[in-house]
Amino acid sequence: MISFERVAKFAFQDIVRNFGLSFMTVLILILMLLSVNTLWSVKVITNEAIGLIKEQVNVSIYFAANAGDKNVSEIEKYVRAFPEVINVQTQSAEEVLNSFKQRHALSKDVLGALDELNTNPFGPTMVIKTREPQDYKKIIQALSVPEYKDIIEAKSFDEHESAIERIQTMTNRTESVVAGLVLLFAAISFLIVFNTVRTAIHTQKTEISIKRLVGASSWFIRGPYWVESLIFSVVSLSATIAIIYTTLRFIDPYLSVVFPSGFSLTNYYNSHILYVFGIQFLSVLVLTVISSSLAMRRQLKV
Amino acid sequence: MFILFYDIMLFMITIEGVSKIYSTSSVALRDVSLHIKAGEFVSVIGQSGSGKTTLTKLLIAEENATKGKIKIGDWEITDIKANEIPFLRRQIGMIFQDYKLLPQKTVFENVAFALEVSGERNKRITHVVPQLLEIVGLSDRGNRYPYQLSGGEQQRVAIARSLAHRPKIIVADEPTGNLDTINTEEIIQILKKINEFGTTILLLTHNREVVNTLRRRVITLHGGQVVLDQEAGKYIL
Repeated sequence: MISFERVAKFAFQDIVRNFGLSFMTVLILILMLLSVNTLWSVKVITNEAIGLIKEQVNVSIYFAANAGDKNVSEIEKYVRAFPEVINVQTQSAEEVLNSFKQRHALSKDVLGALDELNTNPFGPTMVIKTREPQDYKKIIQALSVPEYKDIIEAKSFDEHESAIERIQTMTNRTESVVAGLVLLFAAISFLIVFNTVRTAIHTQKTEISIKRLVGASSWFIRGPYWVESLIFSVVSLSATIAIIYTTLRFIDPYLSVVFPSGFSLTNYYNSHILYVFGIQFLSVLVLTVISSSLAMRRQLKV
Repeated sequence: MFILFYDIMLFMITIEGVSKIYSTSSVALRDVSLHIKAGEFVSVIGQSGSGKTTLTKLLIAEENATKGKIKIGDWEITDIKANEIPFLRRQIGMIFQDYKLLPQKTVFENVAFALEVSGERNKRITHVVPQLLEIVGLSDRGNRYPYQLSGGEQQRVAIARSLAHRPKIIVADEPTGNLDTINTEEIIQILKKINEFGTTILLLTHNREVVNTLRRRVITLHGGQVVLDQEAGKYIL
């Protein structure tokens, strides 16, 4: 315990003596961690958005007015047999007519035009939900056969599919750019930590040589640099957490407009705090420790 | 036979056939053999490049011998493990010409530093450091910084620090090189006093007067070899 206290004291002395370099090291680590968190947040928001869209996506099959109940129930049975399908809702021609009338109850012209026809112009409708959006292609293909050509009037899905594809493409591009930034900052951090420790060793050459002469153990000679790595990791992560939570206070109101489900990044971070920041802390610690070790291996002989 | 065995047991430093070869054109020590008894006061003399400093480096395991064996007491340190080196260095107090004090620390802190980095408890440090300062006559200088002291006083701080671990051996590498006659005399007197307590002293020096006044064992190195080993010897080069 005493030795740890002393090593920590030496580490703090080093940081104060090389304050400029220590500050730069922490700053670069913060930038790296902020990029990592941007990447993380983009991923979380995208997943939430895609989930939301997926929930809204379905395939609507519009049958011809003369399709006949038997044909419709046969197709429903066929569609339900697909393992990808999780739900099928069929509305009869009458139900479709009623729901149309309800939707346009205030529009007398539309209802008048409908009365003029003297017959139900709508055919039954089938709404199919699958596990994944890409499963819809399979369903649509299965229904796009000559036997159903006269029964099925229209199928709608294409617009949803392109919306999901666009989100996915945008997300992938954003992720690539941010991942590049993370790598860049990680490389810079590695070099800066390496240089900080090397400079610290250089400025304390006399002190280190005296430590060696008087029989200091390896822990007393190298320990302060390990502890410095730990301090850099703790300070940079604490500062990053403070910046992130402050930023989230401004972002969350916008997210609540986009996501009516009440999704909030603050809630996400709160419920995953140990996991998200634990991983980041360990990553930064490993990076700084490896970097310091390399600097010590090159510069420090016990 | 008994006398021979007794002598072997008393050897504090045993160097047998030691060579240190950096390259074919750079040989620092060549087949050196020395036996220094516990409690001896030995002066090692020789011109620059004669191998004195290399000998010191081998004793504190800062470098490894290319050939031969080195023993401190009955501990063979020729192939010492890295984690054992600190324990070896606590048994050998080192004193240098340039004192090697930390300028930003006070006299007390400089001496305490040696104990701090080996994990001694604070209570023991506050107990031991004043005693060490008393031995070297600096009890009233504890709160001063090295730049506030004379050269002789700075060297006395270095001696106090070298005694922190109660070493069995003190290696003094040109301890009077930067000092005037009066301070040189003071430092030698302190070393003699430490020697009287039983500590083996190895004095590496160029100072003819010091060696001649001491009238103790003198080992002369030349070209990395022991050329002369005299009991109560004189400075002959």
